[in-house]
Amino acid sequence: MKSILQRVLALAAVAIVVTGCATPTPPPHNDYTAFRQADPRSVLVVPVVSRSVDVDAPDYFLSTISQPIAERGYYVFPVNLIKRVMEDDGLGDANLVHGSATPKLAELFGADAVLYVVIERWDSKYAVISTTTTVELSYSLRNGKTGDELWKHSETMAYDPAGGQNGLLAKAIVAAFEKAKPNYIPLAKSVNGVSVARVGRGLPAGPYDTKYKTDQQQY
Amino acid sequence: MKRLAIAAAALMLTACATAPQSKYDWGTYEQSLYQYYKTPAEMNALVASLDASIANAEKGSRVVPPGLYAEYGYLLLQQGKTQDAIAFFGKEKAKWPESATLMNRMIKIAEVKSNGSEAKQ
Repeated sequence: MKSILQRVLALAAVAIVVTGCATPTPPPHNDYTAFRQADPRSVLVVPVVSRSVDVDAPDYFLSTISQPIAERGYYVFPVNLIKRVMEDDGLGDANLVHGSATPKLAELFGADAVLYVVIERWDSKYAVISTTTTVELSYSLRNGKTGDELWKHSETMAYDPAGGQNGLLAKAIVAAFEKAKPNYIPLAKSVNGVSVARVGRGLPAGPYDTKYKTDQQQY
Repeated sequence: MKRLAIAAAALMLTACATAPQSKYDWGTYEQSLYQYYKTPAEMNALVASLDASIANAEKGSRVVPPGLYAEYGYLLLQQGKTQDAIAFFGKEKAKWPESATLMNRMIKIAEVKSNGSEAKQ
């Protein structure tokens, strides 16, 4: 009985490896024509729209977005400074900002591109022996001069820490811990990292990356 | 069997780790910003941690990431340390020309604030 369980677990682990990373037939990359033409050097992240009931989600999210974009080779405007200055300018309402014209906003801060992020899901569902935490984000990067969309992406990741546990009690304990303190931040970081850096789907290398303008094969 | 499961898990961890080496020394920027949003009253902790992150990176000749000088400068501005704030806005601008428009604006805000407090005295 036990060996069957172990076998299933091992199989599941292998399945995760296969589905998690495999790109069986490399799909043609996104169309980056508009992106290449705009050739943005800097990215302004504006207040995040949230469809989650967690009122803190947008603020918490902000702490996870700068690093992956900067590591792709772009200048990312300081998110906390921008948040405060926009609030002072009467631009603190995310829905309002997402609904208004990009060029005016970009001009205000001297940004080449503006990133609009929507938190579609940021929740944790508890079911005694498993708690699944889900983060779903959609991104839209727009040209600071024209407002045209340069990049669009949407990504979901779910995390169930009890999935790796043997035994009901262990599962229940882990599930209870996750319920008390859902691991949103590591999950949000993973979603951002994958979204921005995935070959053929993320952002092409920016001016501060050594592959800048030499990665047309991948992007 | 158990060994296979462990091997598979290890493979999963390494197989997905394709992220190249970091360009910048981020220090504790992410964690401390998150903590600050959790407990906004503890702004001093964020100030101290940004200060340390910048100092560490500079000491180790690692590159300070985009935005860090400016974030730190803004906190100094909030604390009324306008001259220090201006210095850090200047550093951000010198390191990242993309920030020039914003930094010029921030320096102006800091100067106005500085003159205002002098006028009061």
